[in-house]
Amino acid sequence: MNLSDHDQDQPGYHGLTLLGPFKLMINPLASIVSTILELIGLISVALSASRLLLNKKRRQIFLSLFFRQIYNTGVRALYINGAVAIFIGALLISRLFDYLPQQVFSEQFGYFFMVVVFRELGPLISGIILIARSATAVTAEIGYLRLRREFQVLNGLGISPVFLFLLPVFFAFPLSLLLMFIYFDLVVFLSSYAVIWLSDPSADFVVLLLSILDQISLNEIAINAVKALLGGMMIGVISIHFGAKVEDSFSEVSDAISNSTTTQLMVFFIINILLSLLAYTQ
Amino acid sequence: MTASLTIENLRLEYPDALLFDDIHLSVQPGSLIVFETNVLDGATSLLKGIGGMLSNIDGHVWLNDIDLLRADAHQRARHVGFVYEEHGLISLYNVFQNIGLPLEFHTNLLADEMASKVFNIVDRLRIDRELLDKQPHELNDVQTRMVNLARALIIEPNLLLIDELEGGMPDDMIDWTMEMLLERTRATKSVTLITSSHEHILREADRVLKIENCQLSERQT
Repeated sequence: MNLSDHDQDQPGYHGLTLLGPFKLMINPLASIVSTILELIGLISVALSASRLLLNKKRRQIFLSLFFRQIYNTGVRALYINGAVAIFIGALLISRLFDYLPQQVFSEQFGYFFMVVVFRELGPLISGIILIARSATAVTAEIGYLRLRREFQVLNGLGISPVFLFLLPVFFAFPLSLLLMFIYFDLVVFLSSYAVIWLSDPSADFVVLLLSILDQISLNEIAINAVKALLGGMMIGVISIHFGAKVEDSFSEVSDAISNSTTTQLMVFFIINILLSLLAYTQ
Repeated sequence: MTASLTIENLRLEYPDALLFDDIHLSVQPGSLIVFETNVLDGATSLLKGIGGMLSNIDGHVWLNDIDLLRADAHQRARHVGFVYEEHGLISLYNVFQNIGLPLEFHTNLLADEMASKVFNIVDRLRIDRELLDKQPHELNDVQTRMVNLARALIIEPNLLLIDELEGGMPDDMIDWTMEMLLERTRATKSVTLITSSHEHILREADRVLKIENCQLSERQT
């Protein structure tokens, strides 16, 4: 079979040479490495831009954008976070009630809640909600601003787009995620208690609460805080990174959302699993 | 404020095309210059290039003793106002905030002082105050351009760059806007550069320059 010049120009053509399969492996790897380097670059840009916050006027502008972001990301997500938490709390406890003898259940409730909800489900589900609800919106917003050349306008006005768009997300996402963790745990506990109370009206609210608080050490709180801070920061930076890649066409916005969501899920799961393994493996 | 503009050896090139080469231009304080445009002749790029907003450009653009091509963004923003032909507003903010944005970032004015400046410029440009609460997407093209103009003028720039002011404007609106711009340029001894093909604008200019073969040539007015 002869390949014409036209065939060789087609996308995806890698040539029937020894280098072909090698390139197939190298290209995705190079793309991953390049994305990681760009993300590190973006984090250092955000940290460096943070010094602008020393100026009182800039700090006021930042705070208004920061609170807007907290409201959009952390506060407005509470209803969906709460709804998922109610379902999970009710489902988990009703299942446990079916399987465990009541004596074992009341003794182990605190430990079970800490291991399943506090350590793993809370961070994971809150992170997924942040990605699905807020990070996609930020990626779309940044892509749209790029399409309308608003970054160029800001540069022309001597205003750094990093200050206006990256910095509020960089700081608001981790804090929002931390708020979502706390809220999720709280609602799961309340819905669990509601299910327990329906089965056993003599169940003591304070006893159950104390059985959980007994299990939560400072170490647990620190690990959760690191998950929120690192995970939230990475989710925010990835949104900005892919949104800012949009150049000329609207289809690039869809690509940016799709690529950023995939990357965010991967990165967030990896962070969660690694931190859990490091912290909880004996 | 007295501003003179001197352009030396300006070369603007994209990977697929050379737009301008070896441009020289000297503009006296208090002058309003029009670049007479045709479709896709690169006039917008020239205006952005002069304002230091492009990276693919060589040469010097002296605004008094500041080389705009080498000045930092903050310094440029204090001296150069740019009016976009379309869009140009920041969708994060409403019209009032868009107009006040340069003051918010580059001055230490109090909120009241800023508001007073915004109302002043809005009234001068006959922009309906009811528009101030609106978002950029709620404006039509002419309103968007006038808000762009208000934002550019609020910093009292030494160099005002306007890209195609006239699109969609009725003739009487073009006339009084040009009258105001000419008056301001004379009074402040600043420099105003406009790209346009509209006769009403061309006839008000101190000089009209045509773009031909990557060069600027004088058209007698």
